[in-house]
Amino acid sequence: MNPAGPLLGLAALAIIGLGFVWVIRAERRLGWAWWPWFMAAGIVVIVISIFMPRPWLSALVGILGASLVWGATEFRGQASRAALGWYPGAGETKRRPPLERLIRKLKAPGL
Amino acid sequence: MQGPEFAGLAAAAATFGGVWFGHVAVRRIEFAAARLGPFMLAFLLAGLALEAAVLLSASFALSAFLGILGATFLFDAPELKRQEKRVNAGRARANPRNPRHHLALASGRAVLEDPLGGEPPVPVYAGRSK
Repeated sequence: MNPAGPLLGLAALAIIGLGFVWVIRAERRLGWAWWPWFMAAGIVVIVISIFMPRPWLSALVGILGASLVWGATEFRGQASRAALGWYPGAGETKRRPPLERLIRKLKAPGL
Repeated sequence: MQGPEFAGLAAAAATFGGVWFGHVAVRRIEFAAARLGPFMLAFLLAGLALEAAVLLSASFALSAFLGILGATFLFDAPELKRQEKRVNAGRARANPRNPRHHLALASGRAVLEDPLGGEPPVPVYAGRSK
C-alpha cells in the first residue's frame, strides 16, 4: 500500500490553486510578455527535481515546476480577462521583460 | 553520489498533462454534451479508480503519476458545472446546437464567440521604449 500518490494529488491541486493567484498578480504587475521567463523557470525547476535526495521531495519540486510551466500558458488568457474588466489591472503600466523585442516575435502559448 | 530521482519528472508530467487534458476536455464536453451528469460521473469514477490503483502501486514514481492524474480527474468533475456557469454568464463560448445553452442564448447573456479568443492587448511599459 502506497499513500504517496493521493497525498501528492492533493499537493498538486493546492499548488495549482496557488498558481491561479500568482498568475493574476504577476500578469497585473509584470504583464503577459513575461511568459517565456516563467516557462524557463518551470523547466529549470523540473530539471532540479531530478537531483533531489528524496522521492517525495523530487515529486513536490516537479509539481512546482509544472505549475510554473502551466502558469506561463495562462498569462495570455489572464491578460485578455483583465482587458475585458473581469480582473483589475487593465491599462496599468507593466514592467518590460528582458529580451522583450525577441519575446514580441513569439506567440504566447495557451492551453 | 546517489543516482537521479525520476519521481519529479513523473509528477511534473502528470500535473501538466492532467491540467492540459482537463482544460481541453471540460471545454469540449461542456460545449457539445446535452447532459453533463454522465461525464461528471465518468470523471469521478476515473479519478477514484486511479486513486485506488495507486494504493497498490509498488513504484513511487508510478504512484505519484497516477495519484496526481486521478486528483485532476476528481477536480474536472465539478469543473464541468463551473464551465456551464461561465457559458451562461457569457465568459465562454455557447453552442447554438446545444439545448442546454438555448435559454442563456435567448436571454442575451451567452455569447457565440470566445471572449478570450483574440490576441491579448499590447502591454504599456513604464519608461521609454527600447
